[in-house]
Amino acid sequence: MAKGNNSDYKKMIDKHYKDLMKHCQSHMEQVEKTLPEPRENLHELLKERGITRRDFVKWTSAMTAALMLPPIFKPMVAKAAENFSRIPVVWLHFAECTGCTEALLRSSYPNVDDILLETISLEYHETLMAASGYQAKECLDKALRDFSGKFICVIEGAIPMGLDGKYLTIGPKGKTGLEIAKEVTSKAAATICIGSCSAFGGIQAANPNPTDAVSIKKAIGIPTVNIAGCPPNVVNFTGTLLHYIMFGGLPAQDGLGRPIWAYGKRIHDYCERRPHYDASEYVNEWGDAGALKGWCLYKVGCKGPYTYANCGRVRFNEGISWPIMAGHGCIGCTEPAFWDTMAPLEKPLPDKSFNNREATVDNIGIALTGITALGIAAHATATALRHKDEDQATKQEVKHHE
Amino acid sequence: MEKIISVKEWTLAIRLNHWAMALSIFILIVTGFYIATPFTITQGETVDKFFMGNVRFVHLLFGVFLVFLFIWRIYLAFFSRFHADWKDFLAFTNIKNFIHQIKFYLLITKEGPEYKTLYGPLQSLAYLGLLFMVFVICITGLILMGAGYHAGLTSVAYTILRPVENLLGGLATVRYIHHVFTWFFVLFIVVHIYMAFWYDFVLKKGTVSSMISGNVFKKVKE
Ligand code: SF4
Ligand code: SF4
Repeated sequence: MAKGNNSDYKKMIDKHYKDLMKHCQSHMEQVEKTLPEPRENLHELLKERGITRRDFVKWTSAMTAALMLPPIFKPMVAKAAENFSRIPVVWLHFAECTGCTEALLRSSYPNVDDILLETISLEYHETLMAASGYQAKECLDKALRDFSGKFICVIEGAIPMGLDGKYLTIGPKGKTGLEIAKEVTSKAAATICIGSCSAFGGIQAANPNPTDAVSIKKAIGIPTVNIAGCPPNVVNFTGTLLHYIMFGGLPAQDGLGRPIWAYGKRIHDYCERRPHYDASEYVNEWGDAGALKGWCLYKVGCKGPYTYANCGRVRFNEGISWPIMAGHGCIGCTEPAFWDTMAPLEKPLPDKSFNNREATVDNIGIALTGITALGIAAHATATALRHKDEDQATKQEVKHHE
Repeated sequence: MEKIISVKEWTLAIRLNHWAMALSIFILIVTGFYIATPFTITQGETVDKFFMGNVRFVHLLFGVFLVFLFIWRIYLAFFSRFHADWKDFLAFTNIKNFIHQIKFYLLITKEGPEYKTLYGPLQSLAYLGLLFMVFVICITGLILMGAGYHAGLTSVAYTILRPVENLLGGLATVRYIHHVFTWFFVLFIVVHIYMAFWYDFVLKKGTVSSMISGNVFKKVKE
């Protein structure tokens, strides 16, 4: 950009952020007025868990950056975190393994994100609540009544559509997943799909998909924010909720409903092994010399080039590590139908075999080219024989003319 | 009496387009297979090496080149001042000729069908197929390129093509299609080169040299 425009550009950005800040402030005031008091005092909880003020400040910086906001928003992020437990949440489980819940809740050294998640005001969560049967149903009905139009519906799991949805029935009245999803989401302020199952169908939707499982969006046709991943990073979930608290709306999404701040760039573009990729340095086999040197995992099946996610930037478990750093390629868990499209998980894509046989597209290609070459040789010989006399005839004709 | 004359068949533009495409496709296939199945060939420190990076640069360069060549070829098909040949691509719709042509290729008949179009019925289908292949490989290529480069025309193309990516089922599928179509090109080239020489041998019109000189030979009655 030309230098003259540069200051204009800066002014524009500054103005944009100022407006955003104003919007944020007024919205937060609104939240504090209208929503119930925070259930938990975040700072007390943090102290209890041995997290210092300093850690919290560090966390706000990281989160602000992850959300792609400038540093002036740090106090707002902190405030939103304090107000985290004001937002009523109804958490539904459908066809899935509960792995997302497990991953979000079971960390041996919980960081701020995990603790934040603990403060969340869960009105209903099948895995965590004590109630069961009719009591549980009661809880859900109460939440829907009390917070109609205000609560956030978080959904984990796909919806089986086969048999009229009867592959999945929940609760004392045996309602199908589809019915429950329709009922609850119709009253929710927003629906957040957590994990690849609710976002894109996940493992039960993988080939052959016997129960005809589909994503929430496909099942009930409502727009959802998809925190994709198997399981997703807790940061992507808390960040999206914080964004909701700060701005009163869900963050901008890509064409598949994934928040752009988290899923805007590919794994391959932020991978610390990328220089090895460009330098043609590849791990050929697990544990070979290349693996010891931390070379690129493309040839052992890394699907980072096809996967939009921020794992490499935010990492897991307090930023200790992430899959590629640990030495295994990305399996593309944030992409739709990844169990099918990313297979085989530990080989490059063209090594996909058909019917579990040896045939890959390259083998078939080589075979076809060979057959074509043979066919050409045969055809050429046959042509020589068939058009021989004609050849002589022309020659004679030429002689005749002479 | 019969005389052999030389008639102009291909304009300079078509010939240039043909050879530029041939060269690009050849380079793209070679670099493409390297990108699909890379191997380490250089030694030394990582900082001094950029082999894959360079191969990808060449691949992208000729890929973009191919996009423009494709657009140029489509333009010529409709607006060439010498002979806009878009109708000739539909020669395969003449079923009688189509069957006759197959018989000719299978050496059942000694003479091919008479047609006024630039391409024979099977040829027209093959070239339509080739254009379709170039189209698909360019679209999938632009998507794969746009996923990694976020500036300039690339990002404009990617913004437009992102829904196509989602429709196809993500980058992995796009890349797989890209790979499968590369094989179609390999097969096409093998058959195409053979058929050009075959025509040369059977019809004796100078088919092979016509793509260089622009002219074919024709027998005319005096
Ligand atoms: S390890 Fe995977 S994501 Fe990283 S550079 Fe290699 S292919 Fe890309
Ligand atoms: S690195 Fe890839 S497979 Fe692993 S969690 Fe991230 S997106 Fe999923």
